[in-house]
Amino acid sequence: MPINGNADPGQLTQYAPTMSNLDTEALTIPNVKVLNVIYEIDDSVMAELLPPALHPTIPPTVHVIGMRADDGPLGAFTLATVRVGCRAAVRPRGLPTRAVCTEGEAATALTERWGFPITIGEPVLRERYDRQSIEVNDGNVTVLSAQLIDPVPIGNGDLLYTAGMHVANVERDGETKPWLVQVDPEFEVSRADRGAAQIDAFDSNFWDAPDLRPVYPIVASYTTANITLPKIRYICDPLQPAISGTVAL
Amino acid sequence: MKFGIFYEISVPRPWENDIEHTVYHRCLEQVRVADEVGFHSVWAVEHHFLEEYSHCSAPELFLTACAMQTKQIRVGHGIVVCVPQFNHPIRAAERAAVLDILSDGRLEFGTGRSATWTELGGMDANPDETKETWDEYTRTIPQMWTNERYGYEGRAFKMPTRAVLPKPYQKPHPPMWVAVSSPGTEIDAAERGMGSLGLTFGGFAEQEEKVNRYRSRIRDCEPAGLFVNERVATVNFLYCHPDNETGIKTGSRLTGSFGYLAAQLLPVREVHPTRSYPNPGLLAASRQQAEQTPGEGASAPEGVCIGNPDRLVEEIKKWESCGVDQINFLLNALETIPQEQVLDSLRLFGEEVMPHFVDDKPSTTSEPRELAASAAAGGD
Repeated sequence: MPINGNADPGQLTQYAPTMSNLDTEALTIPNVKVLNVIYEIDDSVMAELLPPALHPTIPPTVHVIGMRADDGPLGAFTLATVRVGCRAAVRPRGLPTRAVCTEGEAATALTERWGFPITIGEPVLRERYDRQSIEVNDGNVTVLSAQLIDPVPIGNGDLLYTAGMHVANVERDGETKPWLVQVDPEFEVSRADRGAAQIDAFDSNFWDAPDLRPVYPIVASYTTANITLPKIRYICDPLQPAISGTVAL
Repeated sequence: MKFGIFYEISVPRPWENDIEHTVYHRCLEQVRVADEVGFHSVWAVEHHFLEEYSHCSAPELFLTACAMQTKQIRVGHGIVVCVPQFNHPIRAAERAAVLDILSDGRLEFGTGRSATWTELGGMDANPDETKETWDEYTRTIPQMWTNERYGYEGRAFKMPTRAVLPKPYQKPHPPMWVAVSSPGTEIDAAERGMGSLGLTFGGFAEQEEKVNRYRSRIRDCEPAGLFVNERVATVNFLYCHPDNETGIKTGSRLTGSFGYLAAQLLPVREVHPTRSYPNPGLLAASRQQAEQTPGEGASAPEGVCIGNPDRLVEEIKKWESCGVDQINFLLNALETIPQEQVLDSLRLFGEEVMPHFVDDKPSTTSEPRELAASAAAGGD
């Protein structure tokens, strides 16, 4: 059977939030700019990046995602997320290892209601005619620089966004322990471009993904979309195979 | 209705103790039994890098071994990947011709283009281009087979005039098929006068719609080859057991394992948005089979050929009524079912299911073996 992750869930919680209430209502954020830079990664550490509930994809991948909203119910914000591509049983998923968000209402809501592993920072999403980029600095050090180069329009329906499995310390039945919280946003895309993927800087330790090494570019996309963050419907025990460890709320 | 067997050649981890050798030789033993039982054809995929799911990267070699060990069963490429980074079209034409000769005219030639980033990325092929290159291959390969010399200058490749040798044993050439996984590809097959080689596990209603579209469109086709191969094949699982509950339970392990493995691969559409791949194809469809935990199936999904002979006859009659001409069966995945049980299943199917079906459907296809024999005897 496929390779399972072998990370101790406790080691994946350095930036995991605590969620005391999973009864989250859906929320739509309009006109979000979304940059998604996808790379294949060094397969020697693919199992160490995921808990036993999840399988690495064949080949293993990382998604560097930049989002920027200029207004909306959570105000203006910019978010950078690093996600490891994976499978929960037969479902395509991504496990965020860490996210950096500008300070404000969005950071709080994304953390508390949807379990994003956020720390506050100043990610910058830049849009140019020949490229789009996301950059994150930690002090004077650039810990992430990724871009889409030479964008060309593609169909709005050509894109496929996968759901996230967010590690969070969930308070449930009188116990607080790590769970994988399934977050499957809906994307209503109004514009989409595709181009070459390029990662110029990636500090795997900063992103809580030790030894994750992007090695082969796949592609990058840049879209404008209304994103509906969902009501949480499922959580999964990170220690059990997702096919048996998933719990409907 | 004709019946075939279909190989991905799934090899479970750990890959040690000669497991690939064991699995390959078990497959060959199954093919020998299928030949004795009366199956029409054995098909083998071409896949690369698909860990555990398919270790069948050189199907022409496997199919040659099949042909050498059997007498009647036809050998089918299901499919040759028609992308230059995988196969140069001249080499594809040459290899197919040799296989047709060695098998005494038993080749079925399936064409396709791969649906995973795992493979296309691994071969450094551009997913945007695969429809176009496939189209060029399907037009040019029959020309290489049937013209003494052939030259071409196109988009995917060019060649000065040369004699592509040898020529196939079947005249004018082996029947040609198109792998159909994405919706609408059955139209591509029909418009080119090629057989529709279904590779997804859909239900009856979906299949009937596909067949109707195919039959309707093929009337006005412009054949890619020198004749029309109007046939619709679909893929299915097979586990036949005297006891229905045992058959379903064991067969569900097969369907679940197969779908679970398929889901671990990376379909093009998931990571490389392109109009060329409007849906995940085989992989998404196969996931439907994996909704159950492997080994826990208590009932069989619609149309899946697992269970006792009576149930299989009933399900196959439904496929027949949808207009399907041939069903190709997957027999195992991850060696989930022990070899002796696979062989018993094949034999039971031959004894108790096959006799309920006859191949009385008129086809516009010339029977390839008759043509080959006729040509060999100097006939027209």
